[in-house]
Amino acid sequence: MTAETLSLRLHRPPVIRRPMLHRIFRADPMTVRHALSFLRERFDGSAGEEVIFRVELALAEILNNICQHGGEGAAERPDGRSHAPLIHLCVIRHVEGIACAVTDDGIPLPDHCLGAHILPCAPPADERSALPEGGFGWFLIQDLTASLSYFREGRRNFLAFIVPLGEATSGDQFSPNCSG
Amino acid sequence: MQLSLLPQDDGVTIRVEEKRLDAAVALAFKDKVRSLVAHGGARIALDLSPVDFMDSSGLGAVIAIFKSMPAGRSLVLAGLSPNVERVFRLTRMDKVMTIIPGPQAVDHSRPTWHDRER
Repeated sequence: MTAETLSLRLHRPPVIRRPMLHRIFRADPMTVRHALSFLRERFDGSAGEEVIFRVELALAEILNNICQHGGEGAAERPDGRSHAPLIHLCVIRHVEGIACAVTDDGIPLPDHCLGAHILPCAPPADERSALPEGGFGWFLIQDLTASLSYFREGRRNFLAFIVPLGEATSGDQFSPNCSG
Repeated sequence: MQLSLLPQDDGVTIRVEEKRLDAAVALAFKDKVRSLVAHGGARIALDLSPVDFMDSSGLGAVIAIFKSMPAGRSLVLAGLSPNVERVFRLTRMDKVMTIIPGPQAVDHSRPTWHDRER
């Protein structure tokens, strides 16, 4: 290799990685953790650090929700445990963002989950006991994602969204108190 | 769920020795820290520097710990990684809780007590 071709190679723009991921797993906090760790590993470097964070957090909230509520009302299995929904997770790095699709065979997603969500109210500083400990999940999902869409077909829920690459840091559009 | 305890002059630093503060450990984390707070002194620092991912379950556990602090005791959060700091900022909980920048100074000359879940 001549010095000239070596120089050309060294100056070639880096190839943009466009990873994909497909995982099938039972809804359980540990399987969710493993899937998200694998996602982080596979998508590391394929987009900005904050974009990867937004994908990971949005998926964590969606998948935790399936773990917590997806099996509600399901008939018990012969071994006495309740039915844990089977999740299919598909994530693809597109040109303009990271697209995610989550399907599961749990109970239908209640309508209110996809309605407008505002941040749970923070009480005055001297009323620590009134602080919300939950209710952040769907607010975060909606705040972190774009084009969030849902439909149910047969026995499965289908939820899809995208995290744009150029998303500005958000979290400023909601008031931290109840007045907003 | 592993925590390290580091005695300080005015209280104790509880260091969370986990990479992920998520739904898989949130309940154990909350219960364990709350039991330690009872013997912790006036100022409790929760050092989260090993944690590089936290979801709303982890956040909810931190808020529950904050709410259950006995009167006259304070809780500060230290060592927030960018991902953890983002969750506090997105939910505006950074305005409610005391977050000190940088990792909590660790004095290795003092004894550290490790606590591992059975």
